[in-house]
Amino acid sequence: MAAPEAEVNTHTGKLEFSLDVPFPSAEEAIIALRSLSPDREPRRGGISKQLSVSGNTLYVRWSADEARTLRVSVSSFMDHLSLVLETMEAFGPAVKLHT
Amino acid sequence: MTVVIGFEGSANKIGIGIIRDGEVLSNPRRTYITPPGQGFMPSDTARHHRAVILTVLKEALDQAGLKPADIDCVAYTKGPGMGAPLVTVALVARTVAQLWGKPLLGVNHCVGHIEMGRLITKANNPTVLYVSGGNTQVIAYSERRYRIFGETIDIAVGNCLDRFARVIKISNDPSPGYNIEQMAKKGSQYVELPYTVKGMDVSFSGILSYIEEAAHKMLSSGQCTAEDLCFSLQETLFSMLVEITERAMAHCGSQEVLIVGGVGCNLRLQEMMDVMCKERGAKLFATDERYRTDEVEVTWRD
Repeated sequence: MAAPEAEVNTHTGKLEFSLDVPFPSAEEAIIALRSLSPDREPRRGGISKQLSVSGNTLYVRWSADEARTLRVSVSSFMDHLSLVLETMEAFGPAVKLHT
Repeated sequence: MTVVIGFEGSANKIGIGIIRDGEVLSNPRRTYITPPGQGFMPSDTARHHRAVILTVLKEALDQAGLKPADIDCVAYTKGPGMGAPLVTVALVARTVAQLWGKPLLGVNHCVGHIEMGRLITKANNPTVLYVSGGNTQVIAYSERRYRIFGETIDIAVGNCLDRFARVIKISNDPSPGYNIEQMAKKGSQYVELPYTVKGMDVSFSGILSYIEEAAHKMLSSGQCTAEDLCFSLQETLFSMLVEITERAMAHCGSQEVLIVGGVGCNLRLQEMMDVMCKERGAKLFATDERYRTDEVEVTWRD
């Protein structure tokens, strides 16, 4: 995978960064989404991120005022994502729920 | 028969407990212990928890002899506590709850301690003294809610003890408070410290500043020993806690006291509280060391 780069949005002046994480199935992508989305970014810091799932992929989009806060947030997210992935590896596969 | 697995990691201890209908099936834990003179920082603590949490989870299941399918519900400490470690634990709890198809319950750490204390000691409607590294509150149940009758207006009593331990560089293994307690037993000289009860509340940061400075002066001049300071600090802090507990008991007309939280392990605190209770004809309930620290309390709550 090529090293992704942050880009400056010329309209808003903010730095933007995106991460696309492929999963073996849509179900697993959604599990990751639900585990990772409740924790919000700190209020002050001029940074926000959006998580969404489409197909088998988890999409993460950041928008930040400063490179430093963007770096911290992305790094922290990668740690959290890897913990979720390890947990899924160790305690998966997901149980099939019958509604 | 309801089987609940609980995850707790709000401070430097990470523990996962499994309980079936009030019986503890497993309760493995790990403590992040820093070198003498150092406290634990949120990101390092989170890193510690992250490194061990999946191992501890496997241990919890193995020691209980259960499979994920046998679990009915996943509980975890939602707060209060340190942010980074709480998130680490929440991520794993959320993920396994989804993988196993079980409901997820966020637990209030303080209420968890109280409920566990009440269940284990069978205290009926006690005035609760909740004392730990992060919390110092006097709590009673009134009109369907736990209410705070008195609390610290700055730092927790455990925080005061832990930071004093750092000043005199005593070991954090197994915990700074435990080591202060052992040293206090060897103290022979009482050093007068500020006594700061404020009505129903207490304040500890002034005492900490005072004793930090006193330690440097008095230890280097040989006026007293570190043991004397440990002894004096405990007597002062615990007297203050007994006073505000008694005030709350008088306010509520209560005849029972329950001490919960890590500092509740301290036998001198229990002894002093018991003296006050006997004077009032009240009963003291204290949990044993297995339950006073954090892990099992999360699971009990449910």
